[in-house]
Amino acid sequence: MRRKNYIFLTFVMAITDFKIKYDNSVLGYLWSLLKPLLMFGTLYLVFSVFVRWDVENYRLYLLLGIILWNFLSEVTLNSMVLLEGKASILKKIYFPRWIIVIASSLTSLLTLLLNIVVFFIFFIFSGAHFRTSALLLAVYLAELYVLVVGVAFLLCALYPKFRDIHHIWEVFVQLGFWATPIIYPIAIVPPKYHPLIFANPAARIIQGCREALIGPSGEFLGFTNHIIITSVAACLFVAGLGMFNRLSRSFAEDL
Amino acid sequence: MKKMIFDLKNVGMCYRKVASLPWSCNEFWALKDVSFSVHRGETVGVIGRNGAGKSTLLRILANIIKPDIGLITRADVTVTMQSIGAGFDPRLTGRQNIFLSGLLLGMDKQHISQRIEKIIELADIGDFIDEPVKHYSSGMRARLGLSIAYYVDADVILIDEVLAVGDQAFKKKASELIKGKIKSDRTVVLVTHSMDTLRELCDRVIQIEDGRSLPELPVDQTIARYLISRKKDNYAKQA
Repeated sequence: MRRKNYIFLTFVMAITDFKIKYDNSVLGYLWSLLKPLLMFGTLYLVFSVFVRWDVENYRLYLLLGIILWNFLSEVTLNSMVLLEGKASILKKIYFPRWIIVIASSLTSLLTLLLNIVVFFIFFIFSGAHFRTSALLLAVYLAELYVLVVGVAFLLCALYPKFRDIHHIWEVFVQLGFWATPIIYPIAIVPPKYHPLIFANPAARIIQGCREALIGPSGEFLGFTNHIIITSVAACLFVAGLGMFNRLSRSFAEDL
Repeated sequence: MKKMIFDLKNVGMCYRKVASLPWSCNEFWALKDVSFSVHRGETVGVIGRNGAGKSTLLRILANIIKPDIGLITRADVTVTMQSIGAGFDPRLTGRQNIFLSGLLLGMDKQHISQRIEKIIELADIGDFIDEPVKHYSSGMRARLGLSIAYYVDADVILIDEVLAVGDQAFKKKASELIKGKIKSDRTVVLVTHSMDTLRELCDRVIQIEDGRSLPELPVDQTIARYLISRKKDNYAKQA
């Protein structure tokens, strides 16, 4: 009974957050589509007209990378300002604190899914055809979600005590954007750096999604890839949630 | 023997003022050694000077913060806290906030839907109910907070000086509502500076001095002890 309430509460919070986010702006929800599309437009101009990569379906390749990376950066960066936004409630009412993080991640997940719909509209118009491996996208998205929420828990827990983490993570996300094959094909990276790049589970997920949907199917559709991603994501999730539960007892004091 | 709701043994609470590095911090003990228990149906007052740790104590009872030392046993009860500036999300409308607070306080959806009109009526804030709470005056916020708390069926009500805000009309209304609740079979812990309220409503009074609970005496004697200690203070200041 109590637990059921919490799950409902999480959804209510996620939906109201989604509404607030686009309230009082003229274009409203469209912004969540426009932002990745504008970024896509700029990068596409630069890397398709000015510089040319030799990638099949580069538009789709780039768009998918941006959408997925956007989700990662949005959830993790938001996680650190969440508590301040909810401080007045946190200080007055007891409820399990994880609800806040999960609710916010669901809001971003909704945006991600809508962006994926837009991606598929592009997909159809660009004349690419579906393959059965496209179903793997669902698996990759689930893995991405667990991974990202794990990191979000960790950051959210550390932030009230150690505010520098926000700046550190901002830089990290920016570096990560360039250290992950989002705008460039993995083929241009010398093979000796591949282990370094794919030490980042997000890079594995993004690359895997592409191979499943567009690219030539390569090594990332394999079972081992999923095992690696899932175990890293699960470890981060458990560590993040553990840290969060430990530190959340002092949230009300530190805000 | 009535059922135990809270039992505190030598509870202490330390605020760490955090410098930017996690390992360099200043400690400040808001509560040092507090022991008492609360049983079902009791109305327990808490008195003490400003800074004695009363609000911290209520937050510990509400499970919002956890004590650093000592032992607290809590029965499986729902607790609501009423205090100045109830917990609202300023960006949400009054209506959305009622819904959210209701859920946070453990009500279910049907329950809230049934009572939402009554809550709005009691809060008496007119069309503002569909405006974001950030546009409310402090009096409107206080009224909304009070009427939500009034309609929530919590087992335990913690009251932190609510009677001290708002205009005369609100104070009167608030104290009537609270008295009504207290006289029903609820368990109440009440922080107040009003000796009349204590005498009128409380079965027991806990006095806190400098983060420590003093040995418990009957209500009148505790109030007398508190007033004497305050007088001593005043003399010391004058001297």
